[in-house]
This record gives sequence, structure tokens and C-alpha cells, in this order.
Amino acid sequence: MDVAVRTERLAKSYSRPRRHEGRWAGLRSFFSFEREAVPAVREIDFTIRRGEAVGFIGENGAGKSTTIKMLTGLLLPTSGTITTLGMDPWRERRRLATNIGVVFGQKPQLLWDIPAGQSFELLRAMYAIPEETYRFTLRETVERLELGELLKKPVRLLSLGQRMRCDLAASLLHAPAVAFLDEPTIGMDVLVKERVRELLVEMRRRFGMTVLLTTHDLKDISTTCERLLVLDQGQLLYDGDMSGFEKRFATERLVRVELSREPEPAALASLCAALAEQEASLTADAPRVLRVVCSRPGAAARVTALVLQHLEVEDLSVQATDIEAIVTNLYRVGTGHGA
Amino acid sequence: MEPEPLLRASAGLASGAPGESLLSAALLRRELSAAPLRSPPGLSASLRAFVTLAEKTLRARMVYRFSTLLSVLASAGGYCIFLLVWSEVYRHQGNTLALSPAQAFPYLVAAFVLNFTLSSALESRAGMRIARGLITVDLSKPMGFLPWHLAQAIGDMLSNALLALPIAVLGLVSLGHGLAPPDMSAACLGLASIVLGFLVNFAISFLTIQAFFLTDSYYGVAFTRVALHQAFSGLSAPLVLFPEPLRSLAACLPFRHVIETPARVWLGQVDRLEALRCMFQQALWATALLVLGNAVFRVAVRRVQIQGG
Repeated sequence: MDVAVRTERLAKSYSRPRRHEGRWAGLRSFFSFEREAVPAVREIDFTIRRGEAVGFIGENGAGKSTTIKMLTGLLLPTSGTITTLGMDPWRERRRLATNIGVVFGQKPQLLWDIPAGQSFELLRAMYAIPEETYRFTLRETVERLELGELLKKPVRLLSLGQRMRCDLAASLLHAPAVAFLDEPTIGMDVLVKERVRELLVEMRRRFGMTVLLTTHDLKDISTTCERLLVLDQGQLLYDGDMSGFEKRFATERLVRVELSREPEPAALASLCAALAEQEASLTADAPRVLRVVCSRPGAAARVTALVLQHLEVEDLSVQATDIEAIVTNLYRVGTGHGA
Repeated sequence: MEPEPLLRASAGLASGAPGESLLSAALLRRELSAAPLRSPPGLSASLRAFVTLAEKTLRARMVYRFSTLLSVLASAGGYCIFLLVWSEVYRHQGNTLALSPAQAFPYLVAAFVLNFTLSSALESRAGMRIARGLITVDLSKPMGFLPWHLAQAIGDMLSNALLALPIAVLGLVSLGHGLAPPDMSAACLGLASIVLGFLVNFAISFLTIQAFFLTDSYYGVAFTRVALHQAFSGLSAPLVLFPEPLRSLAACLPFRHVIETPARVWLGQVDRLEALRCMFQQALWATALLVLGNAVFRVAVRRVQIQGG
């Protein structure tokens, strides 16, 4: 197996000055030299094959950016091992940098005071990009991300979305073997995001580019990646394909019911009691439209039968929870990891 | 490799997935071969990148015309006042000072022009990038940290030199031949000493930048460096006018090799042998500080904590 990234028991703790609390806290902290270790990533293991596209999600502070910085050789791990493209990212940072592209959504890589096109020229020289590759990647990025006019404007005059488009293009100009994209679609509108996704797919198809994509827009992942890594409080919560993620976490089902007439209060009360035994809850969206949420795995069929038994149903559908809802729920309730 | 048509195929996602997958069947089966890995750019490509970065830095520095012009005028104005104070000192005590007015005034103007030319935005730029976590971008590029900053320092220096040119011409007009080197050999030695002075200054800046990695804010270190430069480089006054203990201290520090040494070599205020000895010291300082800076970088970068997420 041709491996792009492999981590074994990878961990990172930050050393921070210990903050005091209470009266005179500011003064005490100023004169104190005490430090404390704050774990950011806790012994994670995963392997990404060459050519694979992997979505990397987790709530704010889960350790995604720290992991990417270790994979790219920017941060030294506290413990564990990493190989990126067969190299130790820390020891062979410059050689690795030639073969990877990095976008950090909040950190522009273009020279601020001059047009983005000038930065492209610099990157072309810096990566010694072959003529044919540069012609292809420049055309693809300019056309797909509509950069034509933007490249002539000083970067400081671009909006966040425009700058991100230029930044993403800049990181793909040398057709990297692995693209580490940390929130590359931040500030972009829906149409541009769609074009970014198409660009990533095209780059994968043309160059076999491996992608590790961190984003808070799950559509970025579901449209471009075949695999998902979920990080929670520095620990790997899930590593697998998208459908497996749903199977594991989307146990909740939604039964949407349209009635032929308004229900009798007695029938409704009886149904509610029966649903409670199945750990299902009923809410009315409209007088003749009901929504039943069943959280017990495999209970959807029994719940449907109960609804049909108690009410006069005109139409009924059973839906799985979508990925966005699952992830939102995961972030909201937490997972208990690392607690 | 002929690209296959882009298919909006189902990626086998369960119903209710928020986005329709853009992945083609071949991508899903991972049938496409990955491109071979590339070696880091060779020497000539690295040199090209170095020159391009210096050129882009020069361009970036010339963008803000009004601000640049204002800083030139303010610096020159401030220095004129400084020269007036010195002329007043010489009017009253000229005979008692170790340097004649014919030596002192060309030196002071040369020191100002040199300081303006060699001063670089390197430290404030790097300090800000470290403080905001933007240093990640610099470290993720296939160019060493030292050449990355050296190229930018050259860009800064070239833009400053362009702006300092009118001031130098003004000095030549007002001071006559006093500001020009006495002969061709002094001019050549002077130019070489200026280049070495630039390297010493860059090496000090590079070492200063490494200290920024170890502190959360760069102001303390940057102010210390500026204070030392202003005190011991010979910018404010020729070091020969310093009291003995301070003169000895200045002799042990590298700062005088940024301003005083090149200024005196250029003006022919030292003989040829002394000039060569001073230049040897400049080269030694530059080398030692660059080696030290690189060594500290290796340690500092291990402790880097990228701020701003």
C-alpha cells in the first residue's frame, strides 16, 4: 500500500504559563514561572493512502489544526511517530514542503501589499514548478475559481472569500502530492464553494493528489471525500467511510406523518403513551402534520405500525438523520472522550 | 493521462447525505496513479527563488508612496536637527574634541545614509508574523528560514538605498568632497565594508528574530536591539568621542561594524591595513552571528507554539 500519511500514537501537549485566579491574579501570573501542559492531541493512529481524500472534522479546539501542523512538519510532536510521504516531517521539512500544499484558512500565504499574481510568480520560482504543470494548474485555478481580475489586485484589497480563492490556488499551483487544507472554503459563497470542490476533484483525477480536508461545511466533505476522520478532544472518535459513520451515529429515525383529518385527542393521547414505551416522541408541525422521532435502534418499524394503528394516515415517510445533524448533535452533547 | 469525464456519481452515501458526491468511479476505486515525488529545488532554482523574493519584497516596500516619502522626510529632518546640534557643539568646543569638524560632519552624514539604507523591516515583519501565527506559512515553504529572511532583507535594503540616494546627493552637494572616498581603493574597500555591514546587521536581526520565538511578544526584544544599535553602532556620535569604558564596550560588540566601520572605511578615515583588519572583523562577526542564529533557530523552532490556532 502506497502510504501518504501514517501516525502512530501521535500526541501533542502545549506548555502554557499557569494562570492564577482570584485577587491579584494578574500580578501573581506576571511574577510566576509555573507552566502547565495542555494536551491538544492524544495518541491518535491513522493511515491515509496516496490518492485518498479524507475529511477531518471536529469541533473548535478538537486538535485538527495541531494535527495538520504536525503532519506538515511545522510542530514537533510531544510523542508518537509520523511519516508523511515516507518522510519524517520534522526532520525533512524542506523536502516535504516541496511535495505538499498547505492552506490555513486564517493565515494568508500571499504577499499582502502586492497583487496575488506576483505571489504566484514567487511560488512558481520557489517550487521550481515545471512549465507544463504550471500552465495546467494556473489555467484550472484561474478558470474554476474565476481569479482573472483578482490576480491583478493587491491582496489587501480583496475580500476574505476572494483572498481564500487566491490562497487555495496558490497552494495547488505546484500540484502537490498531498494537500492539507485547513478550512479552505472559509468566507466563500455557495457557488464558489461548489467550484472549489470541483477543482479538488479535478486535481485528484489529474495528479492523484491526496487531500486532507478540514472544514465546518460538511458538504465540502460529502462531495469530495470518501473517508472521514472525526476528532474529539484530541482523540480519534471515528475513522471510516461516510456511510459507516451514519450507521454508527445516525441511529435516530424521523417518521413524518400526514393525516387525512385532525386526530381525536383521545387517540393522540393513547398513541403518545404507546410511543413513550418505544422511546419515541411526537410533535405536531401542523394540525394534520406530525413528526415522530425514535431514538431506539430498530424501533422505526414498530413506531410506524403504532401510528398506522392509532391514526388515519394519508402519507408517511421514514428518514435517517443527515450527517450535518449527526455531527451537530455530536458536538452539542459531546462524546465523553477525554473527560 | 487522459482525464475521464467528471461524473456526478453516487458515492454510496446513505440517503439524507447533505451533498451529492462529485467523485467519479475511478476516484472511488482509487485506480489513478499518484504523481512521483519531487526533489527540493536545486541551486540555480533556489537562487532564482531567492532573487524573486528579494524583488517582490522591493516591490512591496515601494507600494505606499506617501508613507515612504513621509518617513524619508521625517528621518532626514530629524537628522538635520541632530547635525545642527553637533555644529553648535563644534562651534563652542571644536578644538577640544578628538575629531575635527572636517572629519566629524562627513562621518555623521555617512552614518545617517548608511543607517537609513541598512535598516530593515525584517524584525517588525517577522515579529508580527510570529505573534499572529503567520510564521506557519513561511515554514511550510521549500526555502530555508535564513535565505527566506536574507532575500527580504536585500529587498528592504535596495528600496532604502533608492530612497537614501537623494539624501546622499544632498550631503555631497553640501559637504563637497568630504563625503566622497579620497581614492578608488577607499571606494572599493568602503563598498565591500558596506556589504559586510549589511551582513552583520542582518545577522543581528536574524538572531533577534530567533528570540521572538521564545517570547510571546516581540516588543521587549526588539526595543533592546534598537537601543543597543543606537548606542553602540556609532550612529549618534563617532565612537571615538565616547568615554573610555563605553568605547571599550562598543569595541566588544558587533553594532559598530554596521555603521561606524563602513562609514570610516568609505571616508578613508582609516588606513588601508586598518580597513582590512576592520573588514576581517566584520566578516568574523557576520559568520559567527549567522551560525549562532541558525543554531538558535533549530532550538527555537522546536519550541514554537503557533499562535492564533
